[in-house]
Amino acid sequence: MHREPMVDSDSWTVAGTTLRSRLLLGSAGYPSPQVLRDAIRASETQVVTVGLKRTLVAGSDNGFVAIVREALAAQNARLLPNTAGCRSAREAIELAMMARELYDTPWIKLEVVGDEHTLQPDPIELIDAARCLVKEGFVVWPYCTDDLVTCRRLLDVGCALLMPWGAPIGSGQGLTNPFALRTLRARLPDAILIVDAGIGAPSHAAQALELGFDAVLLNSAVALAGDPVRMARGFRHAVQAGREGRRAGLIRAQDFAVASTPVAGQPVLLGSTDCQERQ
Amino acid sequence: MNAPMTITVALDGKSRQVPIGTTLAVLVAELGFAPGAVGTAVNGRFVARGVRDGLELRSGDSILFFQPIAGG
Repeated sequence: MHREPMVDSDSWTVAGTTLRSRLLLGSAGYPSPQVLRDAIRASETQVVTVGLKRTLVAGSDNGFVAIVREALAAQNARLLPNTAGCRSAREAIELAMMARELYDTPWIKLEVVGDEHTLQPDPIELIDAARCLVKEGFVVWPYCTDDLVTCRRLLDVGCALLMPWGAPIGSGQGLTNPFALRTLRARLPDAILIVDAGIGAPSHAAQALELGFDAVLLNSAVALAGDPVRMARGFRHAVQAGREGRRAGLIRAQDFAVASTPVAGQPVLLGSTDCQERQ
Repeated sequence: MNAPMTITVALDGKSRQVPIGTTLAVLVAELGFAPGAVGTAVNGRFVARGVRDGLELRSGDSILFFQPIAGG
């Protein structure tokens, strides 16, 4: 007798690692380590981003990283260190090497910023850094713009996936250029695409998944919410809803109404409906 | 005239005197870091944990330490 699988196996794979959750979560800016721990749990994420900071004081992170490690162990998730703050390929490469040593992972979220106001990625430096890091054995997750040609070049040099922005980091504007994101999905059908940055509301995350993106990565929208744990849960549901919508097949939007009740153009009532005749 | 017993290095941009012959591993320990708790760079280049013991600091070296933090 045929049995349906008990679990929906809608998973995705990055460099041999299979993931079920399509919500990637940043760990910065939470009101306390405990709130971060509960938000990670509520989100059911399997990938949490972390960073590196110049310091002269041992143990100066207030326990956040320990909480992240503990929470991830509890739900079999992975760390994704970033190169936040880097302005050149050389800086990013050196920081990535350090991250690999400190976090014991070849995964790296590659950030090379080219503009201080928008924190827009520098495509030239990004591609240079990605090329080098791939050769060094890293699994490169590049934070990039939604420019199609830049994205192609990043794949050409061996990036495992692409992480175009939805909007500038922390802006909460959502997907400011859905056309560009749709174009990426259409032109790079086999690439893993993740919207990173700019997401402010669960509906934005759902929209990204509906567009065919494989996942979303967000931080501020949860960390700075009035209730981060509830928001993490909200994003989990939104990502699942958007993904289910994509898999189910969305109807095409159109300008005019199309009756949904199948009355086939027949009037519902015969004769007059004049109010005075009814009295 | 006696030869100087110390050299000057830049630690996160600030001058610091260290004895001649000080290795990066020694400096890490002097600042209270466990070896595995900090990443190191000298003159803008990453220095892996395993080679700190053999890296003797030179006058003018610029040294940076990095620690894990929360991040987006």
